[in-house]
Amino acid sequence: MPICILEDIKKTYRMGDIDVMVLRGVNLLVERGEFIAIMGASGSGKTTLVNIIGCLDVPTSGRYILADREVSRLSDDELSVIRNEHIGFVFQNFYLLPYATVLENVLLPSLYVEKSKDDFVKRAHDLLAIVGLRERTKFKPSQLSGGEQQRVAIARALINDPDIILTDEPTGQLDSKTAGEIMDLLVQMHDRGKTIILITHDPNVAKYANRIVTMKDGVIV
Amino acid sequence: MSDAGRFLRILSQSAKAVRSYTLRTVFCLVSVAFGIASITLIVAATEGAYQKAFEIVARFGPDSLLVFGGGEEARATGRRQKTITLDDIDAVRDAFSTAYLVVPMTAMRDVPVSYRNRKYQSLVIGSTSDYSRVWTWPVVQGSDFTDDDVRGLRNVGLIGQFLASELFGDEDPVGKTILIKRIPVKIVGVLSERGTTPTGERLDDRVIIPISTIMRKLQNETTYVSAMRIRFLDRENLYAHVEELRTFLRARHKLPTEEPDDFTTVSPREITKFLVALTGSLVAFLGITGVIALVVAGFVIANLFLLSVRERTQEIGIRRAAGAKRRDIMFQFLGESVLITTLGGLAGFALAFASSKLLTSVAEFPIHFSSKAFVVGMVLSWAVGIGFGLQPANRAANLKPIEAIKG
Ligand SMILES: Nc1ncnc2c1ncn2[C@@H]1O[C@H](COP(=O)(O)OP(=O)(O)OP(=O)(O)O)[C@@H](O)[C@H]1O
Ligand SMILES: [Mg+2]
Repeated sequence: MPICILEDIKKTYRMGDIDVMVLRGVNLLVERGEFIAIMGASGSGKTTLVNIIGCLDVPTSGRYILADREVSRLSDDELSVIRNEHIGFVFQNFYLLPYATVLENVLLPSLYVEKSKDDFVKRAHDLLAIVGLRERTKFKPSQLSGGEQQRVAIARALINDPDIILTDEPTGQLDSKTAGEIMDLLVQMHDRGKTIILITHDPNVAKYANRIVTMKDGVIV
Repeated sequence: MSDAGRFLRILSQSAKAVRSYTLRTVFCLVSVAFGIASITLIVAATEGAYQKAFEIVARFGPDSLLVFGGGEEARATGRRQKTITLDDIDAVRDAFSTAYLVVPMTAMRDVPVSYRNRKYQSLVIGSTSDYSRVWTWPVVQGSDFTDDDVRGLRNVGLIGQFLASELFGDEDPVGKTILIKRIPVKIVGVLSERGTTPTGERLDDRVIIPISTIMRKLQNETTYVSAMRIRFLDRENLYAHVEELRTFLRARHKLPTEEPDDFTTVSPREITKFLVALTGSLVAFLGITGVIALVVAGFVIANLFLLSVRERTQEIGIRRAAGAKRRDIMFQFLGESVLITTLGGLAGFALAFASSKLLTSVAEFPIHFSSKAFVVGMVLSWAVGIGFGLQPANRAANLKPIEAIKG
């Protein structure tokens, strides 16, 4: 079974009096363990789609099956649980909590797990070692470089051992050398079995993926 | 269970935010502290007043009445009237079977009293050998004077401890003779120490001599006394006796119905009223200040938290993306406000405690801190934390994840 099945996903935003259809019937299958890049012009609906895949938003119509479960009509609380268990987010602007240490930032998703039994602190240390920040656990985000902050974000995305890592322009704020390092890390995670869905404008970034899909005017072409 | 674990994890996030957003914490904390301080002080002052009232009533005697000559008006305008006679006292003693002590008293203020070359202006009271018993005021040195002393118009007296130390210093007053005006009086006993009333009157500045002696030798008086003090066996009927006594005395004094009383009765109830009035002004002042301060604190919290929610929109988005439910966000922000107001409440309690020390040292004001004042303070700080933290917390919880994450 594919990890994500999207069938005829539509998303309409209401702007004043008129409805603007941003997604016009997206069909997409993502297999477990795939590394897929979504490309397309600005405004084509990539972020909107990824928000739905990440259960941050719900489609106006269509079916979305994530890890064998229909999630397109779930309540806010249920979506929170799905995000917590299945999705790890890595954002363009890192989005770390400024007042929390590196370790605390990595642990953030573990605060909201339903049934806590793992030793998350040990896991967080292991992940920080993998992303090369073993010595920085007590730092604040402001004391780190952009590349280091994105490494923390990757460790955070992995703390609950999700099925999918969703990332929208993870290298958008980084120079090309650092961007390469971050992409290498994502490849490493892919090699460990994670499904990775990446949005990018940059063909150099997209080439790390196994498959590239392109969006145009709210559909996949 | 795991829910409790989640709650504690979220509360620890609240604690981190409280520690990190220092300026917000300090402003909210200080404003809560002032409100809680005033309110804690009120509770402590009210409790103190009641405690003091009980103490004073206990000392006055919960089974006792004091009847002065002169109506309310005469007393209010400072004119002292003598309307109570020795015969009244005998009649009351005969008529009220449960009145086990009916004791006459006559007072003279600012009377020159001297021992050798030491002089002092003091209060001289004439009474019977029951004086010490009717006031539950034991003689701690020497002995009481006797019925024979009263019948024989003897020049003997009991002395209060303050006057004793003024006149005698370290000497033992018992057996010594003092002069009251020009009358020599032999001290036979010393009364125990009673201290000061809330109005600042020194109770131990007095000398007690037989009523016969004061009337004949100092006042040239045969009939009238200043007051009588009565103690009843049935204290539960005290206020019924007040009315009976009133009717009885009016009849004896042949007062027509339109005429006001020519005497005034003081009961434990009057004393309590007086004390409550004394405390009332402070309570009113602090009450208004406290309520205003708490409301202000509430608005400070509500506004600073709304600002904080706006500033931390992205944090809320990140948490929601990571799996936080609406109520997790709600609990976190409520936790922040309640933690701050709890700290504010504790600081307020400390502030109240410190200022009560000041108050009691400046004016002898009865303040009593108990767990009650503490509990009231804590409950109020939580109420403020929850009440005014609710709206910002709600706003934070209701932010849509995709909107929030954009910042
Ligand atoms: N909340 C919203 N309300 C109304 N319109 C929206 C909203 N969010 C997105 N849109 C519109 O939907 C369209 C697609 O937006 P989306 O962010 O998905 O594009 P994108 O492909 O991610 O673009 P970019 O490459 O610039 O990030 C845009 O025209 C945008 O204006
Ligand atoms: Mg986008």
